[in-house]
Amino acid sequence: MKRLTSSLTRKLWLTIIAAIVVTILYSYFLSYFFYEKLYVENVETALLEEGRRLALEYEGGPLSDDLKERIDWYSSKSETEIFIVNNPRELSACLPFDIDYESLISGEEREDLLAGKAVQKLGYEERFDRKIMAVVIPLLDENRLEGIIYLYIPLTKISEVTTDFAYLWLIAAILFLVLAIFLGTFLVRKLTKPLLEMKHAAGMVSKGDYSVRINNHSKDEVGQLALAFNHMATSIQKEDERKKEFLANVSHELRTPVSYVKGYSNALLTGIANSEDASKHLMLIYREAGRMERLVGDLLDLSRLDSDDYQIIMHPLPLAQLIEDAIQKYLPKIKEKNLQFRYELDPDIIINGDEGRLEQVLQNILDNAICYTEKGSIHLKLFAIEKGCCIEIVDSGIGIPADHLDKIKQRFYRVNKARTRKDGGTGLGLAIAEQLVILHGGSLIINSTIGKGTTIQIHLPVLE
Amino acid sequence: MKKLRQFILVIIAVIVLSSCTKDRYSPIDEHVSLAATVNIKDMTITFIDLEKKTRMVDWEMKKPYTGAVILPDGDSLLLYGKQVETVDLYSLKSGSLIDSWETGKGIVNGKLLKTSSTIALVDQNLSEIRFFDFEGVEQWEVRTERNPLTILESEANQKLFVLSFNKEILTVIDLNKQEKLNGFPIHPSAAGAWLIENRNEIWIGGHGAGAEIEKNIHVYDSQSGEFKRNIAAPLMPVNFLGYADHVFVLSHGTSMLYKLNENGEVLESVIVGANPFEMIVRTDQLLIAGYDSNDLHIIQPDSLERMKTIPVGNGPFQIVLRER
Repeated sequence: MKRLTSSLTRKLWLTIIAAIVVTILYSYFLSYFFYEKLYVENVETALLEEGRRLALEYEGGPLSDDLKERIDWYSSKSETEIFIVNNPRELSACLPFDIDYESLISGEEREDLLAGKAVQKLGYEERFDRKIMAVVIPLLDENRLEGIIYLYIPLTKISEVTTDFAYLWLIAAILFLVLAIFLGTFLVRKLTKPLLEMKHAAGMVSKGDYSVRINNHSKDEVGQLALAFNHMATSIQKEDERKKEFLANVSHELRTPVSYVKGYSNALLTGIANSEDASKHLMLIYREAGRMERLVGDLLDLSRLDSDDYQIIMHPLPLAQLIEDAIQKYLPKIKEKNLQFRYELDPDIIINGDEGRLEQVLQNILDNAICYTEKGSIHLKLFAIEKGCCIEIVDSGIGIPADHLDKIKQRFYRVNKARTRKDGGTGLGLAIAEQLVILHGGSLIINSTIGKGTTIQIHLPVLE
Repeated sequence: MKKLRQFILVIIAVIVLSSCTKDRYSPIDEHVSLAATVNIKDMTITFIDLEKKTRMVDWEMKKPYTGAVILPDGDSLLLYGKQVETVDLYSLKSGSLIDSWETGKGIVNGKLLKTSSTIALVDQNLSEIRFFDFEGVEQWEVRTERNPLTILESEANQKLFVLSFNKEILTVIDLNKQEKLNGFPIHPSAAGAWLIENRNEIWIGGHGAGAEIEKNIHVYDSQSGEFKRNIAAPLMPVNFLGYADHVFVLSHGTSMLYKLNENGEVLESVIVGANPFEMIVRTDQLLIAGYDSNDLHIIQPDSLERMKTIPVGNGPFQIVLRER
């Protein structure tokens, strides 16, 4: 039994077959019952009516030979067996005398007949040695039972009809059963096929093949499950790809400064470089070391941000002051690049935030703005908006192509994949900035037109 | 609480008193000439006032009695039945049970003998004719053929003729010697008989054997048992009476009453009731009970005219008379 019901397919199949068999049997017995009941009742009523019509021929007094002949003639033409009886013995007239004779009608039936009631019989009748359905109509002259008209048909005739019906039923039922089994099997296969596919696909996924997809377009629960599985597989695949890309990025980002450091330090050690070059080489080694430090620092920040236990220490702070302090660090750099810089700060805005982290956000964004703006201006504004405040940094730099905009905040994503030293940041700045802004309950919006500049808005909630 | 106790006492008293009156029926006026019909379908006895020709009262019996005899005292109604263990005597004037004779089951017929103060009871279970005095003491008995039913007394010859339903032999009993004489063979399923003593003839009717229906009265010599002739009296002549030099024959199969002379010529016939079994005579009156029509017909014997039809209980099977 355990083996029989161990698979869902078998369970469903058995359930369907059982339901079909039960339905067939039930409907068979029900219809057989009603058929027989209705048919038998119908035959009985017909016999009764036939008998009553014949009884109208009787006009009282002893039964005449003419009447007997007419009934005999009628019987010969009718499907029903009909005979007329006036033998008092057959009518149980001698009943109290205990005569050893099996009369045609019993004493009780005689009482009914005397009362003018027709008698109906159903079952085995010794006189005819078979099962019959009979109707007995009394022929009464005043209160004398002069005779009876006895009408009967053998029950085999009735059961013949029901037997024919039963055969037809059986054939139809078998055909239906075969058809139903085929259809049921087909249906069960159709229902369980996606489940088997899913099982197979889940196996593939667990083995590391994330590209597997289930091809099921139905809208039912199984279809929805397949869709959810596909979503999950896609997500896992993306995550896997991101992980791989991340690792590739990290190793790539580290390899560049490491090769610099290795190459120049090699030059210094072997003494190839003269003293003038040596200081340059040392300068380069120092710079690349700093870059590695930044990269490692950023990675550390990111891994912290990803973990749940990263905490920012919030306290109320005037945002304008914070921004102004941050700007001061960049002024020499801006002057060096010969850029115009303007800022308008609303001094009334006070937010609840982590000073250091917000400064980091500004740094990351300003770094980018300065880095990607060769000439023109950078404009920084702080103003109140409906739901808090907005820090807007507008530059007139090279801009970001529209198809890169939505990915620009991803880790290590760069428009310029070449990673030149000139514009190559770590590729983590915006990702970190966004995470920090989100931790402050705000959002980071980037708008850009290629060749014209980029606008970055940081929306933050204010302290009420 | 006191009221409740009183109520319970009253209830108990009612139960006790009603159980006392269990076998008490409406008393019958002892000065009335009456006929009583024993009705076997509804187990009643209907009493009919013969002067007024009206139904007086019905007794609803608790046992399936099939016949009755009124003893010469004119008050004791003796009741018997094949399925009844005892023969029970009721007083008509008091309506109560006065005696029970422990006869056992099987009594189907009873007759007061004219030749002695004895009552002859026909016992089908023992296949015996049993003779009792009026105190219920069995005097003697005679074994007969199987299933005896009709008995007929010959006053002149001091004999009792017994018809058996199943055996085609007429049993003859000598009442004086109290012994069985040689019987003689008769036709099957015989029932009902009449003696014409001056012609030494016994007329015997019957129902007919098996599917065969008796259409004739068979006439035998009452001494030799020789078959003499048949008299057509269809169908199933089962009851005979002699009155004023005529023999009245009741054929239940056709509900026909025949009036014959002693030569066996049918003088008149008339349909009476439905399936009548029982007939009895009194002065200028034939009483016939219709078993299926549940009525008693009073017929004028000369003209066979119907004087009155009185409804009785269901299935009147026997009539007894008491003349005052």
